[in-house]
Amino acid sequence: MSMCDKVRTTVLLTMLVVAPSFAVGLLTPNVAITAAAAAATSSKLGDLSSFRAIVVDTKALTDKGDLASANARAKDLEMAWDEAEAGLKPRAAADWHTVDKAIDRALVALRASSPDPAACTQALADLLAVMDYMSGKA
Amino acid sequence: MHNLTIVRPSHMLNKVPEVTLAFWIIKVMSTTVGETGADYLAVHVGLGTATTDAIMSVLLFAALPLQLRARCYVPWMYWLTVVLVSVVGTQITDALTDGLGISLYSSTAAFAAALAATFAVWYSIERTLSIHTIFTTRREVFYWSAILLTFALGTAAGDLATEELGLGFNLGVLVFGALIAAFAGAYYLGANAVLTFWLAYILTRPLGASLGDLMSQAKTYGGLGLGTIYTSLGFLAVIIALVTFISFDPRARRSSVLTREKA
Repeated sequence: MSMCDKVRTTVLLTMLVVAPSFAVGLLTPNVAITAAAAAATSSKLGDLSSFRAIVVDTKALTDKGDLASANARAKDLEMAWDEAEAGLKPRAAADWHTVDKAIDRALVALRASSPDPAACTQALADLLAVMDYMSGKA
Repeated sequence: MHNLTIVRPSHMLNKVPEVTLAFWIIKVMSTTVGETGADYLAVHVGLGTATTDAIMSVLLFAALPLQLRARCYVPWMYWLTVVLVSVVGTQITDALTDGLGISLYSSTAAFAAALAATFAVWYSIERTLSIHTIFTTRREVFYWSAILLTFALGTAAGDLATEELGLGFNLGVLVFGALIAAFAGAYYLGANAVLTFWLAYILTRPLGASLGDLMSQAKTYGGLGLGTIYTSLGFLAVIIALVTFISFDPRARRSSVLTREKA
């Protein structure tokens, strides 16, 4: 292998690492502006009412003691939330993670092998509070 | 600049396809199908992430030996392997991000380093990174290892750009498409074929994900509102049509013939 080939290979391997980082770097300035704008107007997650409505249903079922139906409704929430991830998350990633974790906690409580109704109610109430907080920020 | 490679160390033919327009279309679409397919099993069917990860890994480890044992490029085997590698590569990144809470900055850097290391070892042993001369099992193992890492890296870098940094899928389609076009332009202007191929290959992962989101996401979020199921079925239909076409069109099976090698 000639010296020239060696140099070219080194350049190639370096670029393989640098180029993706560079691509991300290129995008970052715009993103910083967007993030700054987002911070000024608080959460940009936008309208969460369709998800909130499902949580309200789930909580009503839990309060009635119908944990099986509450579980089914929670599944609707999980699917709707998952389906909208690519649309919602870019708006405000940190807020999205906050809501996502609150949803996870509610799902974990409802899906426990022997679910504790009080824990389920609490997790759903917390989730509603998180969603309302996000909406208040919007 | 081109010289014909006629000497082969074994009786295997090149095991991987020539890089044609159909190759890129199938590659981009298999990314979408791979991701939504795994997501469908995990969430809609309700198997959960852990079970879905296990199923997909088992499927990949069943398909990979088939592909490795084949004597030549068999389109359906190759593309099945790509789809499964796509799913597992995505799942590795998702498991690190969602399961272990590792930041996308860290995973992007780690996978970029791992990919570079794979290429370094591949080159130091084989003295080439050419995808036109994958005719030994050792080279093919390098090839699939690199591809798995491009999917993991593409997922991490793509999610970082489109989701965490808020680029979104609409701009994502434009940015990733433009970068791929730039690498294609560089290739036609004489840039290193191996380098431009792998860079474009990494970017097809986020391009495919953004394209899938553009088709599937609700109009409220700037998508076309087709939903993940119809988007995936549509893409799957195109993949099957193209793979079937390639399987029966002798000209499209270019890789079975030994082809030119860029020096």
